[in-house]
Amino acid sequence: MAKFQWLYHKTEHGPLSQLWASFRQQHSAVIGLMLFGFFALIALFGPVLTPYDPYLQNPDALLLPPSWDDMGDVRYLLGTDDLGRDQLSRLIKGASYTFGIALITALGAMFLGLLLGVLAGMSKGFRASAFNHVLDLALTIPSLLLAIIIVAILGPGLINTIWAIMLALLPHFVHGVRNTILQQLEQEYVIAYRLDGANNWQILRYVIFPNTWEQLTVLFSMALSTAILDIAALGFLGLGAQAPAAEWGLMVADALDLIYLSPWSIALPGLLIFIAVLSVNLVSDGLRTAVRKRQES
Amino acid sequence: MIWHYLIRRLFLLSFVFFALTCFAFSLGHLFPGDPLVNFSGISQPDDELLPVLVQQYRLDDGYLQQYIAFLQRILQGDWGLSLASQQPVLFELTQVFPATLELVAYALLISFVLGVPLGLLAAIKASHWSGRVISTIALLGYSLPIFWWALLMIMLFSIGLGWFPTSGRISVLYEIPSVTGFMLPDILLSGQTYWQAAFQDAIRHLWLPAFVLATYPTTVMIRFTRDAMLNVWQQSYIKTARAKGLSRSQVLYRHGLRNAMLPVMRQLGLQFSTLVTLAMISELIFSWPGIGLWLLDSISQRNYPAIQGGLLVISSLVILVNILMDVLHTLFNPLARKQANG
Amino acid sequence: MLLLDIRNLTLELETSQGLIRAVDRVSLSLREGEIRGLVGESGSGKSLIAKAIVGVLNQRWRIKADRFHWCGVDLLQLPYDQQRKIIGRDIAMIYQEPSKCLDPTALIAEQLHESIPNQLLKGGWWNRTREKRKKAIALLHKVGIKEHQSVLESYPYQLSEGVCQKVMIAMAIAKNPKLLIADEPTTALEASTQAQLFRLISSLNQLKGMSVLLISNELDSIARYTHRLSVLYCGQLVESGETAKLLAQPFHPYTNALIKSVPEFQPELVPKSQLYALPGSIPTLQHLPVGCRLGPRCPNARKECVHTPALERKQHHFYSCHFPLQYKESE
Repeated sequence: MAKFQWLYHKTEHGPLSQLWASFRQQHSAVIGLMLFGFFALIALFGPVLTPYDPYLQNPDALLLPPSWDDMGDVRYLLGTDDLGRDQLSRLIKGASYTFGIALITALGAMFLGLLLGVLAGMSKGFRASAFNHVLDLALTIPSLLLAIIIVAILGPGLINTIWAIMLALLPHFVHGVRNTILQQLEQEYVIAYRLDGANNWQILRYVIFPNTWEQLTVLFSMALSTAILDIAALGFLGLGAQAPAAEWGLMVADALDLIYLSPWSIALPGLLIFIAVLSVNLVSDGLRTAVRKRQES
Repeated sequence: MIWHYLIRRLFLLSFVFFALTCFAFSLGHLFPGDPLVNFSGISQPDDELLPVLVQQYRLDDGYLQQYIAFLQRILQGDWGLSLASQQPVLFELTQVFPATLELVAYALLISFVLGVPLGLLAAIKASHWSGRVISTIALLGYSLPIFWWALLMIMLFSIGLGWFPTSGRISVLYEIPSVTGFMLPDILLSGQTYWQAAFQDAIRHLWLPAFVLATYPTTVMIRFTRDAMLNVWQQSYIKTARAKGLSRSQVLYRHGLRNAMLPVMRQLGLQFSTLVTLAMISELIFSWPGIGLWLLDSISQRNYPAIQGGLLVISSLVILVNILMDVLHTLFNPLARKQANG
Repeated sequence: MLLLDIRNLTLELETSQGLIRAVDRVSLSLREGEIRGLVGESGSGKSLIAKAIVGVLNQRWRIKADRFHWCGVDLLQLPYDQQRKIIGRDIAMIYQEPSKCLDPTALIAEQLHESIPNQLLKGGWWNRTREKRKKAIALLHKVGIKEHQSVLESYPYQLSEGVCQKVMIAMAIAKNPKLLIADEPTTALEASTQAQLFRLISSLNQLKGMSVLLISNELDSIARYTHRLSVLYCGQLVESGETAKLLAQPFHPYTNALIKSVPEFQPELVPKSQLYALPGSIPTLQHLPVGCRLGPRCPNARKECVHTPALERKQHHFYSCHFPLQYKESE
């Protein structure tokens, strides 16, 4: 074999690099990823980047339109709201709320969901099937409704919102993880490992996890887009972040009375929510296509 | 064998209802305030009434007796009084519920009529620019936050162009007696002289909320139908049919559609629960007098009996529709029947 | 007259890593009334060739051939619709997993009726359904299914693989094709059903004069039922000729190894002795050897094997090897 090696055309690729190569080929997915990175950076460094303090009210500059309008002021690039707070600073701060908190809730739900999903997938018997039935039921209720119910009990507020959305996203993760694990357990290489004498924990760690991280990433991206929409929706309904927080959904709700006077106060925060969700969806779609392509080839 | 499956589903349904009533019951204690107030809705019971109520609601006994009393009251139709209006909760629910159902039904219809054909088109012309345009539009619509979208539409069409009204189901000029609770059939049934004008007016009020509400499920149906069709197209039996000599459109209609429609129909049913949730937000923005608006108002007013009743109704409805869809899907799908039996 | 005349067929696949040549200059010819076998391990490209003949390869594949004639007509020159018409009329194919090839939401009767072309029916359009039913029942009897009623009224998932495959054959012969391509038809079936199926195909060939292209990876079953045999390895045609002569006197080392690996063909096999096998395993599509693809595993390989050997001929017996076995013996 060795003497023929130089005649071979080497195309060795591990699954991660294959996935990345396939992902990179989709222009929309790459754009989505760049936007996603942009939002993540702003969510992280936002408080440092704001030109003004987001909560600082300037009574002399109420309801200024954006700077490109005739009555606008270039010092307040995107205008001000009805309390004289700079829109640009509030929008930047809002990224930490809407986007950052969505990330936190999605991550939290993922870890909890992983734990519960593993338990559900690896255990058998009556308790497991009862749990699975309850899980299927919880899945039928949309996450926003669940979140509203939980907030209705716990009362409005940012911390309660975080818990509510985490709990609302949990069933989807548990369901996804459980299904992936069940599917993996049917594979023959798991039987081979068992015959070798591996116990459950080893099978989990060496066999199942390496094969499920792709699914998990796709699940995470879908949960993230739901989380952003739900946090914004709860903020809009007044059940989530409370005033004077600069959460984007709340900003839209605050500006409702001013719909005739300053349409941009409604348009801008909503636009950012839209673009944030769009970027996550682009990445999610790209990931799903890349995973499918890799599995087919 | 099929009965076996149906009976299992029935058991599941009853179990779910019990669980939901347990949950609703527990809310009475979980909500802050006096449980008696939370259950009955009477904010200040006078001294004569108090012991009667305590006796009736079995509040002195253990939780199990209280729950049984609660269950009995629910089944008899006594859902307590709304703290805000002091009207029976059940009565208020029957007033607002049909409005939501009407909105949701029209949105589902739109999503089916628009979403499924567009999804099929996107799958057939997947590499063509038309397919890609449809997929892109679907992705954009899928990412829209509904409240922003509703406000944009209002700003554009109601305030900007003046084509549509911004709120309500019908102009206050018209008095339509409520027979079914659904506006359009009620107008047709009312037999009044100006019913055509009223009909048009109701449509103008209905159009914008239904369109906004239908956006999300339409995009979901487009994406899902596209995926289902693409998946079916890869299957061996499609290749066999092509090899038999059938033309592409023949294979599409005879074999492709039937197999792709099965999961699509199921997904359509599942959209119902999402729609009910999204309707809540739409109702808030369009002041549509449905159960969503009613529930949101109750939540912000801390109207606990109303919240209890509203949550019970919405959750039961959502789960009922889902199980129904499950059963229908199994009945119509030969493959799923096999899985249900074996 | 040659039904199928393919010369130097090459099938290339576009992938992200470049163009992969899955089938490399394979020639195949088929006469009327003969059963041709196409044998090779998985990955040898035999299914691809079948798919190329029937025209179901998707756009990522590039088809090149010096000659690709069906009954004298060059298929590659024809526009797509005409190609489909000719193929749909004359060639039928059955596949490996028959239950997956049947629409799960359609009754067998419906799918069987679909394969019966209208031209073969007697009577006008008002009789059509009745005539189709009669023909369907006749077809089912012809493939050996006696309880036609229960089969016609079932869905594919309710039938066993063997019955499904018979239904597939019934659908295939419904249009009286000149050629039946059977792509590993028995791999998913039990041994007893396998034998039934081969006998069925053989009898259809004898009674109706239908040619058969039988594709398989098992030499023993294919040897009994074929007139001529082609052996493929990794997309290259290794040897081809009359079955009996090929098995008696193989020229190519791969054919030799294949024959030796089947215990039924070794009468002098000593019990508990090691079975003969070539070292190594089939190369993956991404790592195809240059030149003769058996090179790395061949016991006779030498420097010249880096260049693909040309197809040589010895009295209807074709082989492509620089150092064929008989050549060595005659030295």
